[in-house]
Amino acid sequence: MSTSALTEIIERYRGKPGSLIPALQKAQAQMGYLSGETLEQISKGLGIPFSRVFGVATFYSQFYLSPRGKHTIKVCVGTACHVRGAGAALQALEEKLGVKAGNPTEDLSFQLETVACLGTCFLAPAIMIDKDYYGEQTPKTVGKILKKYIGGGADAGTPDPEE
Amino acid sequence: MARFKTFKDIAKYREKLNKERDSEATAVRVCMTGCRAKGADAFSESLKAELKKRGLENKFKVIETGCHGFCSMSPVAVVEPGNIFYGNLKPEDAAEIVEETVVNGRTVERLLFADPATQEKIVKEKEIPFYSHQKRLVLKNCGVVDPREIDDYICRGGYAAFSKALETMKPEEVVEEILKSGLRGRGGAGFPTGLKWRFANKERSDKKFLVCNADEGDPGAFMDRAVLEGDPHAVLEGMLIGAYAIGSDEGYIYVRAEYPIAIAHLNIALKQMEELGLLGRNILGTKFSFDLHIKEGAGAFVCGEETALMASIEGKRGTPRVRPPFPIQSGLWGHPTCINNVETLANVAAIIENGSDWYASMGTEKSKGTKVFALAGMIRNTGLVEAPMGMTLREIIFEVGGGIPNGKKFKAALTGGPSGGCIPEQFLDLPIDYDSLAKVGAIMGSGGLIIMDESTCVVDIAKYFMTFTQSESCGKCVPCRMGTKRMLELLERITDGKGTMKDLALLEETADIVKDTSLCGLGQTAPNPVITTLKYFRDEYLAHIEQKKCPSLKCKALLTYTVAEDKCKKCHKCAESCPANAISGQKKEIHKIDQAKCVKCGMCHTVCPFDAIELS
Amino acid sequence: MNEINFFIDGREAEASDGMTILEAAQANGVDIPHLCHAEYLQPTGACRLCVVEVEGQRALMPSCAVKVSPDMKVSTGTERVVRARKMVLELLLSAHPKDCMTCDMAGKCLLQKYCYEYGVSDTRFKGGAIYNYPEHRDNPFYVRDYNKCILCGRCVNACAEIQGDFIIDFAHRGFATMISTPLNRNMKDSGCVFCGNCVAACPTGALRERDAAGVAREWELNKVSTTCPYCGCGCQLDLNVKDGKVVKVTSNPSAPVNGVALCSKGRFGYGFIHSPERLTVPLVREDGELKPATWKKALDFAARRLCDIQGESGADSIAGLASARCTNEENYLFQKFMRAVIGTNNVDHCARLCHASTVAGLAISFGSGAMTNTIADISQADVILITGSNTTETHPIIALQVKKAARRGAKIIVVEPRRIQLCDIAEIHLCQKSGSDVAWINGFINVIISEGLHDASFIENRTEGFEEMKAAVKKYTPEYVENITGIPADALRAAARVYATAEKAAILYSMGITQHTSGTNNVMSVANLAMLTGNIGKPGTGVNPLRGQNNVQGSCDMGALPNVFSGYQQVSNPDARKKFSAAWKAELPESSGLTATEMMRAAIKGDIKAMYIMGENPMVSDPDTGHVRKALEKLDLLIVQDIFITETAKLADVVLPAVCFAEKDGTFTNTERRVQRVRAAVAAPGDSKQDWRIIGELAMRFGYRMDYESPERIMEEIASLTPSYGGVDYERIDREAVHWPCPSKSHPGTPILHIGAFTRGKGKFAAVEFSGPDEVPDADYPMTLITGRILYHYHTGTMTRRSRPLDEHVPQAFFQINPEDARSLNIADGQFCDVTSRRGAISIAAAISDAVPEGSIFIPFHFAEAAANALTNSALDPIAKIPELKVCAARVSPKEDAQRMLKY
Repeated sequence: MSTSALTEIIERYRGKPGSLIPALQKAQAQMGYLSGETLEQISKGLGIPFSRVFGVATFYSQFYLSPRGKHTIKVCVGTACHVRGAGAALQALEEKLGVKAGNPTEDLSFQLETVACLGTCFLAPAIMIDKDYYGEQTPKTVGKILKKYIGGGADAGTPDPEE
Repeated sequence: MARFKTFKDIAKYREKLNKERDSEATAVRVCMTGCRAKGADAFSESLKAELKKRGLENKFKVIETGCHGFCSMSPVAVVEPGNIFYGNLKPEDAAEIVEETVVNGRTVERLLFADPATQEKIVKEKEIPFYSHQKRLVLKNCGVVDPREIDDYICRGGYAAFSKALETMKPEEVVEEILKSGLRGRGGAGFPTGLKWRFANKERSDKKFLVCNADEGDPGAFMDRAVLEGDPHAVLEGMLIGAYAIGSDEGYIYVRAEYPIAIAHLNIALKQMEELGLLGRNILGTKFSFDLHIKEGAGAFVCGEETALMASIEGKRGTPRVRPPFPIQSGLWGHPTCINNVETLANVAAIIENGSDWYASMGTEKSKGTKVFALAGMIRNTGLVEAPMGMTLREIIFEVGGGIPNGKKFKAALTGGPSGGCIPEQFLDLPIDYDSLAKVGAIMGSGGLIIMDESTCVVDIAKYFMTFTQSESCGKCVPCRMGTKRMLELLERITDGKGTMKDLALLEETADIVKDTSLCGLGQTAPNPVITTLKYFRDEYLAHIEQKKCPSLKCKALLTYTVAEDKCKKCHKCAESCPANAISGQKKEIHKIDQAKCVKCGMCHTVCPFDAIELS
Repeated sequence: MNEINFFIDGREAEASDGMTILEAAQANGVDIPHLCHAEYLQPTGACRLCVVEVEGQRALMPSCAVKVSPDMKVSTGTERVVRARKMVLELLLSAHPKDCMTCDMAGKCLLQKYCYEYGVSDTRFKGGAIYNYPEHRDNPFYVRDYNKCILCGRCVNACAEIQGDFIIDFAHRGFATMISTPLNRNMKDSGCVFCGNCVAACPTGALRERDAAGVAREWELNKVSTTCPYCGCGCQLDLNVKDGKVVKVTSNPSAPVNGVALCSKGRFGYGFIHSPERLTVPLVREDGELKPATWKKALDFAARRLCDIQGESGADSIAGLASARCTNEENYLFQKFMRAVIGTNNVDHCARLCHASTVAGLAISFGSGAMTNTIADISQADVILITGSNTTETHPIIALQVKKAARRGAKIIVVEPRRIQLCDIAEIHLCQKSGSDVAWINGFINVIISEGLHDASFIENRTEGFEEMKAAVKKYTPEYVENITGIPADALRAAARVYATAEKAAILYSMGITQHTSGTNNVMSVANLAMLTGNIGKPGTGVNPLRGQNNVQGSCDMGALPNVFSGYQQVSNPDARKKFSAAWKAELPESSGLTATEMMRAAIKGDIKAMYIMGENPMVSDPDTGHVRKALEKLDLLIVQDIFITETAKLADVVLPAVCFAEKDGTFTNTERRVQRVRAAVAAPGDSKQDWRIIGELAMRFGYRMDYESPERIMEEIASLTPSYGGVDYERIDREAVHWPCPSKSHPGTPILHIGAFTRGKGKFAAVEFSGPDEVPDADYPMTLITGRILYHYHTGTMTRRSRPLDEHVPQAFFQINPEDARSLNIADGQFCDVTSRRGAISIAAAISDAVPEGSIFIPFHFAEAAANALTNSALDPIAKIPELKVCAARVSPKEDAQRMLKY
């Protein structure tokens, strides 16, 4: 991340109580992950011991301490999805991408994650790629969806509600 | 926009709005939250374009609402007047709806809901069984108002209760009213909200916090998400009333970061409240001031626990701490802190507006009002359901939920997610309230209601929940950190066919002690799924252990995989995928699985395009 | 605190309101097992071993964290409770290596203890996941084996709550939770200061002292409580002895000054005790060489030569240096020997080099030259002004109180040329030019008076000389002061306001104030500032000179000074002389003797012909060592009594092998005037002898009886002759802390001085003018050289450099230089340079650091091979005769060859 962007984030949160997590969230949103250097700068900038920053960054599953794949695939393994066969869809994705959940693919094109619940139980089993939802997934359908994202396709997903 | 300076200003503003809107009785209410996952946005755009094309855009309004609840029909829309419900909408349906319904006042038959039993089409939303059995109190605005428009909320009586409380009631009177209503915390434990507020009200401190716990983390639960997305002001008005009642001037909404729409709608709502003078200093010209912040969670289920949630707001690792002191005594940064769940707060305004007697008239003796459930799993009408307390499980599943699909048999219902328990068939007529559920070893929980049919293996479900709690354990206390791990390992042994009766005994003992000894609610309830499945489905555990069989054909390691020769199309995919080279046969040959070599990974079953791998 | 009644295991019991159930149970003789809880740390309730049943509560309650309440019914040993505890232990054991038979913690490990007590011998959770962490040996001090970690968090809390450093924390979560440095960095790169307080807190073998590995199990150790031999904090520690050897140092939560805390020197700096280089036999110089000799020969020789010189040149041609490292009893005897046996007041010791100006300055201002408040009291302050003290390195345990105060919300003001570690927690850091202290303090006073922030009633009732002082500071406006000190005027104003407006403000200072030609003036200025604001004579306030060595306070108290007997009774006072003369049965000299610094000059002049040096190493510690060498070489007789062949001992005619702190009984008086016991733990090596016996045997050869039975008898004599120690006896200080003045057995001692009245009656404001240092940078020597200490070494390094972990951690001398200066001089980090002053030159490696301001360099004085004091200036403060060790002019030039050292 550019130093100025990080400095801006730090300035925004400096001296405010409880600002570590939002600062980490903003920094990660800027850069995609939190490098050791970023963590150390946030620690210094906010005056929070580095060990505490590291402890927080490793506690929450939202934070990534290493580079991530371009497209994030979240496989819902919530209860509804589980009973409707999310495991098989996940297994198929792991096979196809050659990584275990929680990791980026070797070429950093995908990041495979599981998520406790997407809150879309009616789609079960559901997956989410970036901001697009895909419901009723089977080992057969996931392959087709992946193809949409290989080679720069399907960038325009659901609009970001925050935009 | 006007800025409210007195109590009268709100009422005047509402009057003015209602006058302006009299002419707008015609509209299409499109779900734009949950249904987005199935393309609601494309439908809505197409609908708007179609209306514009025909020059109807000013006459006929598209209201982009929150969740209507009937998610299995997603995307859904309701056309007014007429209360015509359409489901499974596609962008290309927009033209037909405009042509037929909007212009000609006819219904589009094929888009209507059909009763699964009779195949009879039902036109009106409110007449569909899914809706007709519900009592929509908390969800009354969900699917009706545009959650991004505070005016919609005010039109429907929003902020009248807050204004009433502030104008006519002392904080203590508000507390007593809530206490009398019998409202209990909807987060799971069911602690009387009025009592919590009374404690908070009585704490002497120059600083108190009110926190809305919107860290809905139970897998299979999306009630809070729907309310925040579909009717954020109901929660925010509840917060204002609560803050006034307990004497707080600052609040937080701690919301899962996985709910971007909820966060976006909350942000919009807060901004509008500020503009109207419903937040900030000296609200409505009184001494009451309130500031509200949104805190996004960072992905830790345990942060739903009050003390962990507070640690997280303070920017720390979300680990719970010992209580007492309770948050009410010493919470955020050492100040008294009252934490209420989304749904709890969403009930408050209606209670103040209609009185505690009205509220207490609904529900059972000790559980008043309604409860919102996220109905999911092996059920036909997946979705969001609001039922009066005391409705039976049978009514919810078979009347509202439409029963079990695919002709399968009901096996059990799971309430309370990973903290809850399973309820077997024999309790289908159990009235759903806090105490009845507790009696059978389950809990109300936050409202996740997962239905399992006969194809679901309860040992697998217990293992599934243990996988979840184990990975979400904060790691602080020994029973939870180590106990859930060891319980998971024991369950894995059992589903892998390696379990012994000693393992089962150890599992039960561990479950019991983890429940009794863990520091926080997560650990104390983590064994519940194991305990209740053992209680009601012990035979299935025994089948896994003694006969090495999974009666529901779910536990891969206990299955035998064979190739159904009649279905095999000799494509060789199974053999290619087999990690153990256990499948013989070349292309264009019938394949065979060598049972001695098979490692029971299930990959062949997964990859076979012709369902030719049979399980037994 | 109110007493409340509750029920424990069915019987009625009493507890104090506010106690936890665990504490209440302990108070009633019921032990509850616990792993994560330590009485000196905040409870976390994590391990769940201490759970109990409380009537009316659904779940089991952690007794460590839940407070007892009236009529509470607690059951500590029901079947349900025991079952839960067994499961907790079994779960922990399921991932714990079972190597108790070779584990150093066997016998001390709490997991082992409770497993034994609850009969948990194995785990039924077979085949489950275990941890497989590498053992970390990334530092010389301790080993981290997280496979044995039970994640109780004591180490994390010890680091945070005791040390205040937050080096480690929990990382990750769930089963994967672990204790980690940020990014799992090496401990050496983590900012850890190796106090080992985490090691002390660890209940299992996860954190272990490296040097104690495989040496002893708990039950084989004999623990002897004694006082740390390093700095003036006066920490209590336990020497762990096996087979006559100190194999480990542990700390004890009940220690009065330090609790469980120690610093890296205290905990890991014991290796010197059993160094093979220890002196074991007397040495006598023959044919230019020091050769082993018998005690008889050595003592006869020393006595005869002293006697000769006394006869030929008079008693005043002999001088003695006592030792701030030796006990009170030994110092007392030493000065008694010099005065009663030799007949001279030429006795002094290295307090001259550190706090002579404190003793002199505060005597003038207050009437007593010691720390006014206690160490524990520091944490009560609302504002702490620290100047001339790098507290975290020189007085680590006192720094803990400062950090504690800061965590409580106190504001810290640091006035220091260097950016010291405490600046990290300071509200304000003012960086003054070295040697400009009177100016900035006068500036503070100027601001306070002109803004009306002074305490008029305190000044009126308790002090004198205010008007003169006020007149003197008139010209020291912040702008005027900025010109002298370099401190921006507004920053000075802001700091003065913070100090003056505090309810309770304490001042801590040390040698940055004292070691100047204006040292006494500096000290009086500090006293002015405290009196001006009424910050004296009450808790959380005071003027607190931090004394540098373990017993520098005591050796001053004992009269190892040229002008006073013990208890600061003036030798010029006829009554005092009469009293001592009668007690000692000897004629006593009347006029003040020479100070340590004057002795060296007199030796060069030939006025001093013999010196008796006990436990001091002026060849490294004194300024301008070239000059010291000349002096010592000029002597006719040099007797050195020490535990090693020091640089000074190498020049001696007779070397007398003495014993170290671990081998002797006696007392040390720490910086807060607390008299504490030193206890022998091991036998003296070889033929080495107790210092007090050596002095006694030497005296006997003069026909003077000094045959004490034990140090305790010596203390009895001290108490009888020294009013401030009148109430001190071994039996009492074994039992309770005594801060002098303590005139009688029934007197409680005096933790805080000057309550109600100053020792001298009224406090005396001194009108003090700024005068610059003796030597300032110029074209030839453009840099300011600052000297001082670092955390890991002590004094001249004789002990720390013979203690493996400390020596391994910082094996070499270095000098700190600002990055800007390094760039302009073309110096790389670690590069060897010549540092030169008008007095000498050393070759020393550069450590580039922005902790030193541009134009200054800092050299620690511990390293004889690159002795900072070869460069320093021996110019003296006119009153206290303290040399200006803190400032001189120097030149730095990089050496051509690219020889580098590892970065410190």
